[in-house]
Amino acid sequence: MVAHYGNPGTPSMTVETERHKEENNESQTDLQLVRKVRHGDRSAFDLLVVKYQSRVASIISRYVYDSQEVMDLTQETFVKAYRAIERFRGDSAFYTWLYRIAVNTAKNFLESRGRRPQGSADAVEAENFDDGSRLRDNASPEKLLQRDQLQEALRVAIANLPEELRSAFLLREYDGLSYDDIAGILECPIGTVRSRIFRARDAVDRHLGPLLNDSRTS
Amino acid sequence: MDDRLKETLSAMMDDEADELSVRRLLSHARQDEVCSQWQRWQQVRDLMHQGNLADDRVDVSARVREALDGGSRKTDSPVAAQRGGRDRNWHWPAVAMVTLALVVGFGAGAGWESADSSPEVANAGIPAESSEGQDVSSSGEPVQEVALQGLDDEQWEQVSRYLLEHAQHNSVGAGRGSVGYARLVSASGPAY
Repeated sequence: MVAHYGNPGTPSMTVETERHKEENNESQTDLQLVRKVRHGDRSAFDLLVVKYQSRVASIISRYVYDSQEVMDLTQETFVKAYRAIERFRGDSAFYTWLYRIAVNTAKNFLESRGRRPQGSADAVEAENFDDGSRLRDNASPEKLLQRDQLQEALRVAIANLPEELRSAFLLREYDGLSYDDIAGILECPIGTVRSRIFRARDAVDRHLGPLLNDSRTS
Repeated sequence: MDDRLKETLSAMMDDEADELSVRRLLSHARQDEVCSQWQRWQQVRDLMHQGNLADDRVDVSARVREALDGGSRKTDSPVAAQRGGRDRNWHWPAVAMVTLALVVGFGAGAGWESADSSPEVANAGIPAESSEGQDVSSSGEPVQEVALQGLDDEQWEQVSRYLLEHAQHNSVGAGRGSVGYARLVSASGPAY
């Protein structure tokens, strides 16, 4: 059974919103990592930082406009989160908890500078937070060109995937289905789904690799 | 980083990795590789879902690590930091309790060993027949005083053997005075 999709580079907003919701609600990996951090595993915290740093910076950039200050406050948010991680009870998603720390850090910073915080943010907003607000000067012509190149490269990479890999990968990424559901749809063992998604991800990464590295160094 | 670990990392991206696999991944020696791979896949995901990469200048992971390394030389984990405080709070009471237990243990042991001849304990319920300044055997009869002067060779050998055995017994049974005491009570109790 083959799933057909539109342009993989331009998913619909509905899919994107569902995916975001799912990411926030499904936090099994986050909880696993948090448990490791509590036992002193710093590398687990590194993975959480890498996963959420852009989103945290994006939240903070809604309050603070100077990019250096945004970086400083993003760092401070994670340091605070690390030191307070025992107080994270898992009642909410880890990201929601982190979001609150980021907002409070930004607000405290503004107050310490005698500036009144303009934005408002609560937990509900955190759950549905759209990562669209970037640092203000992000959309330079070079960045726009780079974005177009990346999207085209992604489209080609996905199009070149063998059918069975592409189906599993897209069902996961765009439809947010669990491995179990995908196994049911594709009528194959769950281990096969896991392997196919990994191989698809690896192939796309290899195809985009140089561009991703360029974007980091440019 | 081999494919099996990469597959685990991929499953972690999808919240589908089990605890054991995550543990194995995190114990991998080259965590920089793990982190780098994780970062690239997160970028691909951003690109797929938002049509753009997350701001690539946002990479505070190294700075966070440095900040935590600077602050964590004292404590490696946040839990350990809190536990450390609690441990320090428990430190002196714990030492005091152990010391008290040792004192009581040795004291009681020594007391019980000497109480072998104490009628109040060794022969509980039996009125003491001894008077002050008079040694009493477990059977309640006065112990005959032995003069060590003027012993012949055979007697000296017996005394020496006895002292040696006594020293060995004490060294083996050090701190287990209560066992000897119990043995004595059971052997010399009135019910036997």
